[in-house]
Amino acid sequence: MRFELDEYAYLDSPLHRWEPRFKLIGLLVLIFAFAFIKDLRLVPVVLAIATTLYSLSRMPLSFLISRLRYPGFFLLGVILLLPFLSGETVIWQWGVLTLRQEGVLAMLLVVGRFLAIMTTALILMGTTPFLTTVKTMRSLGLPSLIADMTLLTYRYLYDIAANLSTMQQAMRLRGYGTSTRKNLPFVPDLRELGLLASLAGTLFVRSYEQSERIYKAMRLRGYGSEKFKVHPVYAGSTPSSATLRTWSGVGLVCTLLVATGLVVAEIL
Amino acid sequence: MHIPDGILPASVCIAGYAIAAPFAWYSLRQINRLKDPTEELPKASLLTAAFFIASSINIPVPPSSVHLVLNGLLGSILGYFAFPAILVGLFFQAIMFGHGGLTTLGIDAVMMGVPALVAHHIFQLRHAFRQKLGEKLATNVFAFLAGAMGLGLSAVIFFFLVITNIPSGFDAQTEQAAVYGLTLAHLPLMLIEGTFTLLLVAFLQRVKPELIERRG
Repeated sequence: MRFELDEYAYLDSPLHRWEPRFKLIGLLVLIFAFAFIKDLRLVPVVLAIATTLYSLSRMPLSFLISRLRYPGFFLLGVILLLPFLSGETVIWQWGVLTLRQEGVLAMLLVVGRFLAIMTTALILMGTTPFLTTVKTMRSLGLPSLIADMTLLTYRYLYDIAANLSTMQQAMRLRGYGTSTRKNLPFVPDLRELGLLASLAGTLFVRSYEQSERIYKAMRLRGYGSEKFKVHPVYAGSTPSSATLRTWSGVGLVCTLLVATGLVVAEIL
Repeated sequence: MHIPDGILPASVCIAGYAIAAPFAWYSLRQINRLKDPTEELPKASLLTAAFFIASSINIPVPPSSVHLVLNGLLGSILGYFAFPAILVGLFFQAIMFGHGGLTTLGIDAVMMGVPALVAHHIFQLRHAFRQKLGEKLATNVFAFLAGAMGLGLSAVIFFFLVITNIPSGFDAQTEQAAVYGLTLAHLPLMLIEGTFTLLLVAFLQRVKPELIERRG
């Protein structure tokens, strides 16, 4: 089983080679700088930065498009609602439909910021194996309990999803969902709600029982001792790692300068 | 019910992290006071994964269907583990589906996690009313309230944040009316979420009572 986001985490590109701690700090600061902008003239700049970084990462465009599928509904909502509901300056009217200037500008700002942040976040998570990302966050101060929870949740997420899918199939084979009873609109069927509560409850009970077995197996392997904690990642001390650290440092400084430049441009 | 990246200004996103941090710290402190926190960790992690998956179950509400938030239920069952569980769940939703976001992780955690902690305390009130109402009725009533309040509080915070921070030309009165209107529109969903929590807690009480007696 491989985490979806790890699909392109092993390519060879400057962003893949960037030391994980420097990359995490640099790209997170850049993401917050993108969130900082309110001036529409800076929207093309942040989009250009995100596009350049994405092309440097050598990840395929189809990967980015596939990640935008779900948030696309949010984008559609913003595009369809804001220009018509927000603002006072009417720029076009047809019947009850009124296009307002402030709404259009707000829509462009939200969509621009969203695309730039989303793309940069994907570069951050997509160019580093997930385990390394968690170890890196640990080295930057993430509490060990949250790091362990993240890794265990990640490990069993797909197992539990498969479990739910099997149970739902079993329910359908036993006739669930074939009822022709007419329900009142907007009122859920209480019996159906009870069945779905039992389905979710069974999932919790199974997960809970599985966790008891996992805990015993983990204890037998030494879980709880210092040796088995999720240890942070640090760069090595070989000559090649020294070169990597230098270039990673340069990358971090450049990213911080770009982020500072955006914030200063926004303030001025 | 997650606020995506790009919609809120950076100051609000940073404030979200600043507000979430003490709640996370307090939850971790309460967890570390447990007799053996490492024993609870795998249970909390797998239940986090189960909640994450269970929230994808479609609840038919004719003519359509809805997804439940389950933060009230999460608080009732996981106790203080609910806050880190929500942080982890939101992180996965942000990086796997683009549902929510990394800049809004703090604010989303406050929006979902604080009501979950409130739901935990509401559910604990059943012990005080056990004598008056009887064990079963007290558990059912407070399970319903925990489920409904979890969603209700999250809805109020969500609409307040989105409407007051979206870069728009809405005036204060329109914003206020929109927050009230959208929150009222969530009342039927609160009833569904509360009923689902009640039914699920009743199921767990029959099948695996230790799951709802756990202390976070």
